[in-house]
Amino acid sequence: MDRVLTDFVKTLRNANIQVSPAETLDAMEVIEKIGYDNRELLKNTLSFTLPKTLEEKEKFDSCFEDFFNVQPLQKKGLFQTREPSQLSGQVNSDLAHQLLEDNQADIQLSISKAAEKAEIREIKYFTQRAVFSRRILDIMGVGSLEEELSHLGQLNENELPSDLEQQLRNQLTQLRERVSDYVQQQFLLHGDVSGERLREQVFKSMNMGQIDRSYLHEVHSLVRKMAKKLSNLHSRRKKNFRRGKLDIRKTIRDNWVNESILFNLRWSYKKIDKPKILVICDVSGSVGAYARFMLMFIFSLTEVVSKIRAFVFSSYLGEVTDEFKSSQLEEAIESALSKYGGGSTDYAHSFSDFLSLCLDDLDKKTTVIILGDARNNFGPDKAFLLKSVYERSKQVYWLNPEGKFRWNTGDSIMNTYSAYCTKVFECGTLEQLERVIYKLLKTAA
Amino acid sequence: MTKGPAKKIEDITKGFAKHNYICSEQISSAVYLANELEKPILVEGPPGVGKTELANTAALYFKKDLLRLQCYEGLDETKALYEWRYGKQLLYTQILKEQMQEVLKGAKGLKDSLDRLMEFEDIFFSESFLEARPLLKALTSNKGSVLLIDEVDKSDEEFEALLLEILSEFQVSIPELGVKKAKIKPLVFLTSNNSREISDALKRRCLHLYIPFPDAKLERKIIRARVPEISKNLQVQLVNFVQGLRSLDLKKLPAISETIDWAKTLILLNAKELSEDLAKETLNVLLKHQQDIEVVQKEVPRLVMAADG
Repeated sequence: MDRVLTDFVKTLRNANIQVSPAETLDAMEVIEKIGYDNRELLKNTLSFTLPKTLEEKEKFDSCFEDFFNVQPLQKKGLFQTREPSQLSGQVNSDLAHQLLEDNQADIQLSISKAAEKAEIREIKYFTQRAVFSRRILDIMGVGSLEEELSHLGQLNENELPSDLEQQLRNQLTQLRERVSDYVQQQFLLHGDVSGERLREQVFKSMNMGQIDRSYLHEVHSLVRKMAKKLSNLHSRRKKNFRRGKLDIRKTIRDNWVNESILFNLRWSYKKIDKPKILVICDVSGSVGAYARFMLMFIFSLTEVVSKIRAFVFSSYLGEVTDEFKSSQLEEAIESALSKYGGGSTDYAHSFSDFLSLCLDDLDKKTTVIILGDARNNFGPDKAFLLKSVYERSKQVYWLNPEGKFRWNTGDSIMNTYSAYCTKVFECGTLEQLERVIYKLLKTAA
Repeated sequence: MTKGPAKKIEDITKGFAKHNYICSEQISSAVYLANELEKPILVEGPPGVGKTELANTAALYFKKDLLRLQCYEGLDETKALYEWRYGKQLLYTQILKEQMQEVLKGAKGLKDSLDRLMEFEDIFFSESFLEARPLLKALTSNKGSVLLIDEVDKSDEEFEALLLEILSEFQVSIPELGVKKAKIKPLVFLTSNNSREISDALKRRCLHLYIPFPDAKLERKIIRARVPEISKNLQVQLVNFVQGLRSLDLKKLPAISETIDWAKTLILLNAKELSEDLAKETLNVLLKHQQDIEVVQKEVPRLVMAADG
């Protein structure tokens, strides 16, 4: 019975639910108490011990349904033996004998043996299920059985299949079903059920401009996850800085009990400033897709950032902070892209717009992030505008979604602008973006 | 013959219902398991779905004392676990000073008096000067108790670490006295509103129960239990209306506690059935944000219509 549970836990882990060995032990204790008989109860109680967040619970539900659907079918099979058929003397192939004898346990056993040979453990994607079913059936000798069936068919004179042929055909259909059930179960155990980890990996390392729109929702949840990780990291780091000045008032009050001998010192916690971030995003055709992810990321960081203002531009610049705060993130991005995107890029004009909008807001706590490819359509660069931004703020990061080898080619003037940036990053994938923002949080406060 | 687990769970559901707490099978099986396995339950869910009430009811049901510890930022072991009674300790040393003369009478030399002092029983750090706080009280209680650690997500991470020993071993180490083990393991409920992610170490020691908003059927039952004087018609309308509200995109969705408050309000206003005007006037009982109220005002006619059907 324990085997069933550990297999189930393995399935859960495949579905990206973190289950520790201790939790598995807990689950075992639970099963000892309630047994496998009551399905609903089993599901309820296991859901207390194995998944520990709301998202995990949802995944758990579907995993449970899948897993415990296959299981009982098999168990029933194990004990179901009918009278061996009289007809088994009339066939040649081993498989046919076995099927006619109808010994379920034997058949189950030979399925697992064949599966072992077919290296079922290697199954990774659900598209492979048919391949593996076929392979298992081949190893079991379905080929020769089929030959025999067609031979039997030819023997019939009156066009009607004989009893033997009919029975064999029925058995074969059942066998096919059983094998495909078996493969499905094995796939749940060994394969990456939802392909989720694989997909995440791909999204992270894929160029953001290439990610198809239809995946936006999934990418969004991935971005949120990444941002959450960063903000957790950052807020923990903050705690370590917590010792500050001696708090006289608190110390005296707390040491009253020691006859005013200052025994326990109390410290006033130093407040760590959260960074203030201004984001300027190019949303013209070439960079628009990147701006989407950038803004998604930044606005998922509100916990560890005191103030965010977002500006977008192509030929002129406008602030979109309020839209992002009030409405849904996805809608806000769409509307920002349609409102400001599409024009030809004019960095000089946009920088002057930016300065007139928020020159006062730039101080020594401010980090300015500029996302753009620095392709200015051969217009004037007016780099002195960026210089004044650089001088007034704490740091200026420039994220360029283009590969480094393309910088300064054609109308790109990355070199001119990079002189007035604290750091310049290549930032084409989510992974790179995550790394940049990690650096930013580390240095900005 | 001992009862099967399914029967016992049903008993808990019924027993809770007697104390006016209507719970789903999930909740009662969690309580059953926690009691059988002697494991704490971490209860999560949106505010107002009855997380705290669950612990209260469990205390009534098991006829044990409820010890409640409200968590907040900066909560430390002197408030949660134990503290020494400094005042009494000071007095004790004063008394000791006077008694000292007698004890040391006739002692010769420093060594002799020190020896005598050592023979003297030292109770400065002993149980008589120990002020037990909720966590320690729950462990030392003779009858067993229900311990509610409320809103554990509001406390610091350091405090969470302190809980680990108590929740897994049901013991605490007091440096001066040694390890104190629970006589009867308390039934522990931890609640969290998810304002902060609880650490994995703590989660893994607990059974994890998520209480969602109830479905219409359960909510009607709850209203019937909590506000028995409500007419059947109004109760159905009311629950349908609230269920409709939860499908809207609001800042804070109304929970069960708000539905109950609303039902009581409508009773006070002598309402027999839910009308548009009545709903509009009393929306502020259900919704706690001006923004939400504005959104819902426009939807009221539709929702009232739907509630009727």
